[in-house]
Amino acid sequence: MGKVLLGRYVPGDSIVHRMDPRAKLILSFFFIVIIFLANNWQSYALLFALTIGSILAAKVNFAFFIKGVRPLIWLILFTVLLQIFFSSGGTVFWRWGPFNLSYYGLINGAYVFCRFVLIIFMSTLLTLTTAPLEIADALEKLMMPLKKIKVPVYEISLMLSIALRFVPTLMDETAKIMNAQRSRGVNFGEGSIMQQIKAVVPLLVPLFVSSFNRAEDLATAMEARGYRGGEGRTKYRVHYWQTGDTVGCAVFVAVLIILLFLRHW
Amino acid sequence: MAMAIIFKAVNYMYQPNTPFEQQALENISVEIPTGSYTALIGHTGSGKSTFLQHLNGLLRPTSGVIQVGKQAITPETKNKQLGELRKHVGIVFQFPEAQLFEETVIKDIAFAPKNFGKSEEEAETIARRMAQQVGLDDELLSKSPFELSGGQMRRVAIAGILAMEPEILVLDEPTAGLDPQGRLEMMEMFKRLKEEQNLTVVLVTHQMDDVAKYADNVIVLEKGKLIASGTPSEIFAQPNWLVEHHLALPKAGEFALEFEKKTGYKFSTLPLTEVSLAQQIASLLHGGGVHHG
Ligand SMILES: Nc1ncnc2c1ncn2[C@@H]1O[C@H](COP(=O)(O)OP(=O)(O)OP(=O)(O)O)[C@@H](O)[C@H]1O
Ligand SMILES: [Mg+2]
Repeated sequence: MGKVLLGRYVPGDSIVHRMDPRAKLILSFFFIVIIFLANNWQSYALLFALTIGSILAAKVNFAFFIKGVRPLIWLILFTVLLQIFFSSGGTVFWRWGPFNLSYYGLINGAYVFCRFVLIIFMSTLLTLTTAPLEIADALEKLMMPLKKIKVPVYEISLMLSIALRFVPTLMDETAKIMNAQRSRGVNFGEGSIMQQIKAVVPLLVPLFVSSFNRAEDLATAMEARGYRGGEGRTKYRVHYWQTGDTVGCAVFVAVLIILLFLRHW
Repeated sequence: MAMAIIFKAVNYMYQPNTPFEQQALENISVEIPTGSYTALIGHTGSGKSTFLQHLNGLLRPTSGVIQVGKQAITPETKNKQLGELRKHVGIVFQFPEAQLFEETVIKDIAFAPKNFGKSEEEAETIARRMAQQVGLDDELLSKSPFELSGGQMRRVAIAGILAMEPEILVLDEPTAGLDPQGRLEMMEMFKRLKEEQNLTVVLVTHQMDDVAKYADNVIVLEKGKLIASGTPSEIFAQPNWLVEHHLALPKAGEFALEFEKKTGYKFSTLPLTEVSLAQQIASLLHGGGVHHG
């Protein structure tokens, strides 16, 4: 365990760490949307500059970002190869049945690769610099308007924070139970497909049982401490929108404007 | 097969090369002799559980070598090479009831021997024997393990490890959370098993009474470093050193110290178990040598 970096918070004290989680959340979504406006190498260069700048401002070790890409590398390569071999246009270098390697294919492949890397870098930056519970809080605040159309915002955000809170616990538990079952002669990730499926049972059953027990305990503990729904609850963490957040948003909007300009250049 | 355990300059680091990296074992060199009853003690977080997971290669050292019988475990050792070793090293983890998963108690106990190549019938025969060893009633065997009480689940889990018939039995606080009677029964059972089957036992415990009563060899860890090893009487010889390292004397030893303070009498060797304490005081009373001071 411990290899999953997406969703891993590294405490720190940088401009990015101190930003309002709402701002970070909005900007991350904003970034993902504007990536799709990029259509030439200048615009990708601009987006890379923005990403690298944000990473530098966060003072987080760059190795984290490379590690964030690694688990997804097969998905990325697969998509890139699809792009390369199935899009046509421009000079064709090579053709075999339905496959063809064309100039546009290569360019598209490169763009898709850049998009993936940019999205992963930016979302890794969000989760590295923002504690999971802050993200949940920010989501709750941002979803508040949906309350008017009867979306159970408090419940959703409570579920989200509980889920986030228990991810590390569940991972620890998984590691422990795997160790215990390994000691009893289970080989995880070895042998035929059938054997591997069978090996999962001694892992999943205890995990489910302990999750249910924990959920029950948690519910009891919450009731014992007087929890009765989110209505009218005050917050322990209060967010303040600061100058830094406005500046951050301004930078991103400026990038959008330049991007639109580059697009029609 | 004799299976001595030798640690040579073992280091272990959790999550190396990340901001979360933590050195859990630091340059540990120590030997656990075959057939010994070794107690592993130390303050919470000192690396005891980490140490144990090296005994069957669940964790491989970041550097150094662990020799268990013929098998050497190095940073390069592959999982596949460790199957044979895991047959011989049974580990009862902290709160082992978390590992139960089968439909019935008997199936759960028989799980490990089946994995290690015993037939269904053989495994079940062993399972019944072990259930008896740990004091589980016959009528429980066909129940689901999740219907049992915490203490009963613990017994099932321990039986599940004993059923591997290991040569090295590793116990990580096996009695934590049990009632006093159950605790005594368990410890006596481990002792009996050890003697009958000539096992090597490695016990992690915070109960100094158990260390004095059962162990013949003690290893003390502190913040991942080996700070002492020897017989219980060597380890418990310096009460001040123990206090400095967040350890304590067994109850009998504390009583004896208090007794010395109040009476001015000096024991020739500090009694560490209730039995030896009682004997020394009895001979003292018969000899009639207590002076009030
Ligand atoms: N999976 C893990 N990832 C990172 N660090 C860990 C992990 N497991 C243990 N540690 C750290 O390694 C150190 C030793 O832990 P270990 O569990 O071996 O202690 P212990 O002596 O068994 O303690 P206890 O008496 O509380 O069971 C601790 O500082 C702990 O925080
Ligand atoms: Mg431990």
